[in-house]
Amino acid sequence: MPNKDRDSGLVIKKLSKRYGKSEQLALDDLSLEVKPGEVYGFLGPNGAGKSTTIRTLMNFIGPSGGTATILGYDIVEDATTLKRHVGYLSGDFSVYEKMTGKQYLGYMSELQPLKSKGYEKKLGKRLKAEFSKPLGELSRGNRQKIGLIQALMHEPEVLILDEPTSGFDPLIQEEFYGLMKEAKQRGVVVFASSHILSEVQKMCDRVGIIREGKLIVERSIAEMASEAAQTFDITFADKIPLTELKKIKGLKVTSHNQNRVTIHIHGKLAPLFTLLSKNNITGIDTRTLDLEEVFLRFYEGKGERR
Amino acid sequence: MIPVIKWTLWQRRWSTMWWSIGVVAMIFINMVFYPSFKDQAEQLQKSFDNIPDAALQLLGGSTDFFSAIGFLNSQIFFLSLPLILGILAISLGSSLIGKEEQELTIESLLSRPISRTRLLLAKASAGTIILGAVTCIGLLTTILTALIVDLDVAAKLIVLVTFACFLLVLSFSAIAFLLSSIGRTRGASIGIATFMAFGGYLISSLAGTVDWLKFPAKVFPFHYYQSEAILRETFNWSNLWFFVGIILLCAALSWLAFRRRDIY
Repeated sequence: MPNKDRDSGLVIKKLSKRYGKSEQLALDDLSLEVKPGEVYGFLGPNGAGKSTTIRTLMNFIGPSGGTATILGYDIVEDATTLKRHVGYLSGDFSVYEKMTGKQYLGYMSELQPLKSKGYEKKLGKRLKAEFSKPLGELSRGNRQKIGLIQALMHEPEVLILDEPTSGFDPLIQEEFYGLMKEAKQRGVVVFASSHILSEVQKMCDRVGIIREGKLIVERSIAEMASEAAQTFDITFADKIPLTELKKIKGLKVTSHNQNRVTIHIHGKLAPLFTLLSKNNITGIDTRTLDLEEVFLRFYEGKGERR
Repeated sequence: MIPVIKWTLWQRRWSTMWWSIGVVAMIFINMVFYPSFKDQAEQLQKSFDNIPDAALQLLGGSTDFFSAIGFLNSQIFFLSLPLILGILAISLGSSLIGKEEQELTIESLLSRPISRTRLLLAKASAGTIILGAVTCIGLLTTILTALIVDLDVAAKLIVLVTFACFLLVLSFSAIAFLLSSIGRTRGASIGIATFMAFGGYLISSLAGTVDWLKFPAKVFPFHYYQSEAILRETFNWSNLWFFVGIILLCAALSWLAFRRRDIY
């Protein structure tokens, strides 16, 4: 079946969700867009509304207000047709315990035939998945591999992933990032929630942070990087110009001894380097950029509203 | 829809086999004693003549336990077969959707291009097939053992009473299915359906001796299941419409509730 509007990707407009008679909205006027070929990381603390958003997009739960379309299909009215194009994986992937991986994937491919025969086996090899044991006997990570295969095996144009790497070991995580990179190159829309900030930094083009049901910030990873504090270890030949350093906007001295200082700086670096150029420097080390602090700032509510 | 039916049947293949063995055993054990009862029918009947009316109603209201029809009714069709099939029916009705939802495996199904209507229809069909298969095994066992023990009741009558029993237990299943489809827990679904089924048996049975129970008894499916009347060919077949009505009503309400409700 042809897509209605493939280029529109995923569009959420003022989506809200209220559970039962609860006064608080689990989702409050959420609006965002994800373009084809874009990997969007959806972040937020527990209970912020990440899973509610994903379950609403999958039409497991109905929205209380607003709309959302995926490839031009309405998530409620066109839910069945839409799912021909969507691969879904939840972080707590639930299985039929007595079925083997092979039987389970057979069942799922009967419900949604594969585009390329045998593709699930190729994925299985890459992820080192166990197909012949009952799913109930597999470890969480191995079950999650089967979950990932069922989400990818019909080569969907949209991937909706709720904490997809739960239980994966580092090697399989790398394989997962590779698969996401390939999906991105094919123009797949990827919408993934995650708790693992390093994962988001590695995998995503853009992130949205949700708190108390509201999208509080949306940034590209590049924008996040420009906001991240950078850490320098600087060794001076002479005395450290501490007073001048402390006058630089956004700079914080975290530790120092007689002629070595560690600083943390947000924003523009030019004033720092102007000062350093006037001093005799014998060494300077930069630490790897860490976005975790930026994420945490928004998580904890210190960040700006969108 | 077909894959859901196929895999649901596959998942329940062993439990269906054990239920079938249970039904065969129950029928066989009851029927095998018929020759001994037949030989002492007169003496046994005398000892039953003084049984209190209320107790008699719980045994089907009949005073004839030892003729071929009386034996078949009291030993198989009045309570034993509806009881064993009823337990299976309620268990199926409450778990076909309820278990998938409780164990979150329903997400795997609903993330595929299958509508909720088709999912519901597939699950209901799988349940009906399982219940129908176990009922047919019960029917065949009854006919065969009746031949073996020389119980002289026409096979046609055994088929008709089994069919009525099937509709009765299917109505129990439909009630449980409705309750799980509207989002009740499996426990609540089993509890309420069991009350409708076997509470109904008590109320319908006692309504023969307790006047004020006559009206409420009409609400329960058991009131419309009169196995002895079917075997004696005095049954008013329009009573079966009650079961058909309950099954269709529950199916329609299940569909209305399930197609839009939140799946947690």
